[in-house]
Amino acid sequence: MNARMDERGSRSPNPPDPMESSRAGPAPAAARLAAALGARVRSWEGFLAVLLLCIIAMNALTSPSFLTAENQVNLFALSIEKVIVALIMTFVILNAEIDLSVASMMGLSACALGWLVQQGVPMPVAILACLFIGMLGGAFNGFWITVVGLPSLVVTLAMLIGFRGLARVLVEDRSIKEFPAWFEALGQQPLVGPFPLSLIIFFALLVLAVVVLRYSGFGRQVYVIGINLEVARYSGINVARVKMLLFTTSGFLSALAGILFAARLGTVRGDMGLGFELDIITIVLLGGVSIFGGAGSVYGVILSILIVLYLRNGMSLSNITGHLQTGVIGVLLILSAMIPNVRSFLAHVVRPGRLR
Amino acid sequence: MKFNKLLTLSAVVAALGAGPAHAEVMAEKGKKANLVLVPKFIGILVFDQAHDGAREAHEELGNPGTLEFIGPTPENSVAGQIEIVTTATTQGQDGVMLSNNSGDQIVPAAKAAREKGLTLVTWDSQIPSAEGEQVFVAQVDFDQTGVVMADMALSILGEEGGDFAILSATPDAANQNSWNAAMQNALQEEKYAGLNLVDIVYGDDQSEKSYNQALALIDKYPNMKLIMAPTTVGIVSASKALQDEDLCDQIKVSGLGLPAEMVSYTLNGCAPEFALWSFVDLGYLTYYVTYLIATGQIEGVEGETFNAGRMGTYTIHKDPTRENGLRVLMGPFSVYNKDNVEADAS
Repeated sequence: MNARMDERGSRSPNPPDPMESSRAGPAPAAARLAAALGARVRSWEGFLAVLLLCIIAMNALTSPSFLTAENQVNLFALSIEKVIVALIMTFVILNAEIDLSVASMMGLSACALGWLVQQGVPMPVAILACLFIGMLGGAFNGFWITVVGLPSLVVTLAMLIGFRGLARVLVEDRSIKEFPAWFEALGQQPLVGPFPLSLIIFFALLVLAVVVLRYSGFGRQVYVIGINLEVARYSGINVARVKMLLFTTSGFLSALAGILFAARLGTVRGDMGLGFELDIITIVLLGGVSIFGGAGSVYGVILSILIVLYLRNGMSLSNITGHLQTGVIGVLLILSAMIPNVRSFLAHVVRPGRLR
Repeated sequence: MKFNKLLTLSAVVAALGAGPAHAEVMAEKGKKANLVLVPKFIGILVFDQAHDGAREAHEELGNPGTLEFIGPTPENSVAGQIEIVTTATTQGQDGVMLSNNSGDQIVPAAKAAREKGLTLVTWDSQIPSAEGEQVFVAQVDFDQTGVVMADMALSILGEEGGDFAILSATPDAANQNSWNAAMQNALQEEKYAGLNLVDIVYGDDQSEKSYNQALALIDKYPNMKLIMAPTTVGIVSASKALQDEDLCDQIKVSGLGLPAEMVSYTLNGCAPEFALWSFVDLGYLTYYVTYLIATGQIEGVEGETFNAGRMGTYTIHKDPTRENGLRVLMGPFSVYNKDNVEADAS
């Protein structure tokens, strides 16, 4: 366990930079580059990158429409709500916590939006209100976790049920489909070039996530808390503040994703996003983020997002859907859970000297 | 032959009366169209039967293109259908035949498909707003379904009537909602005064959930005498629940069911009467409509009359159950009881 956290934790915040090797002389440079590349491939991200390339190659070969811009945009748009939430879920899991309530919050926010619009509330006000509901719900989770000290698994499991219940109370067994045309256009039409608003938001959040996690003090604090809570406390990190901020942001982004979902489908109902939390957590874990916290990187999660989306898209384009598709992604998750553990187990058995 | 001609003639006359005149279109065989048949989800017998019917028409018409049968899993029906329609658009398919389980959530994907020139025909379950849909192939008249359901309830419960509940599929299945509404509408009539609808619950077309919903109904309404399940999954689950609880002499089941799945419950009295149409025919007719539109032989507008092989002549009419939207009406119902269920069960 320690060995594994050490191995992956030290790798992720500061992965070796292959560019460095190019500064040396030509002959050793090639060797060092090969060595660096070798190390990269042996890392989890490296494995994912190779897997991704294989999937892309296979898709491009089997389906002529795979590489079209339209398909590339569509395959993101079809799952955009999940991948947006996967970004913040990365932070939460790195922090050795979990947020199971995200998909229910998506549903609640979408349903609240529909309900408010039906009551005659102007659209912009309704959107702001839903984002506020998201922050409030997230902060509510954070309160029980940081102030009362309950495990996040329990708190957010309760809220998974609670938020979903509220969503169902709001719209009952109906669909609400009374959004203004501009709102639906925002969800369904390209905004800049071929990209709809949701993709632009995702890319912006992606850059933000990389910057915050890799280059900010806050990002370091997230890792430290995830690796060892007590050490973090004694080093003067305000653990409660960090966790509170993470859960509030998680609620906020889930609500945002719910609004984008409503715009994309033009209709809301109580079961929107049902079960999405599992897909989201799958993506994060497949990305190499340790469920025990402290280890993993945004890059791994980006690769994992691309793998899951491309794999799904490729299978759909080859008319493979349904249970087989679910099964293939399930096998991927099993592998992602097993391979790092097998590796640390082997390291433990074969080279016990490396353990500290 | 003469009878056929007469039918054709009467259809033409009907078309003349209904709108602009169109001559009956006979399908030209051997034209190419890649078509996708999308069920609500996979693993349901009636959808496989519809697939059989579509395949029959596919071979009969000698379409050199492909016929794919692609459906989502039950847990992922809505998102799955949206993904399938979007993917079909990307693939450059020529037409999609959709049993819509996504309410109006499918509309953006359907519209995008239409903009790319795909033919989009719904069957079994329509798009409520009709946006993005060209024609709906209706199995039966949806108002008629409500009357048939009310009539079966009346014949099982008799004049004195009693409490009954509806066990439906998913809350957003447009066909189910239309039927339930039509039944409630039919119940306004004097002769159904004794029938008292106490609740509508949803089993999502999943056996276990439908079974549990039936048990919940039994507990909640001690005076309930009938469960009406207008879904082939729900009616079997409800019958099984009553049989397992040994309550078949107090509470009956009716609705829409497959003879093969219902035969034992009909013979032992749990479900004395139920109805259905042929899903094979529905798939066959849907394929004809879609093939004709996708190959440009008809446009899919009101008043067009066409020949659908072994099933005869049909006309595209305005759908009286929706504000916008066109439909081709298949019909009729078969009502099953202990006298005829065995013959159709095999």
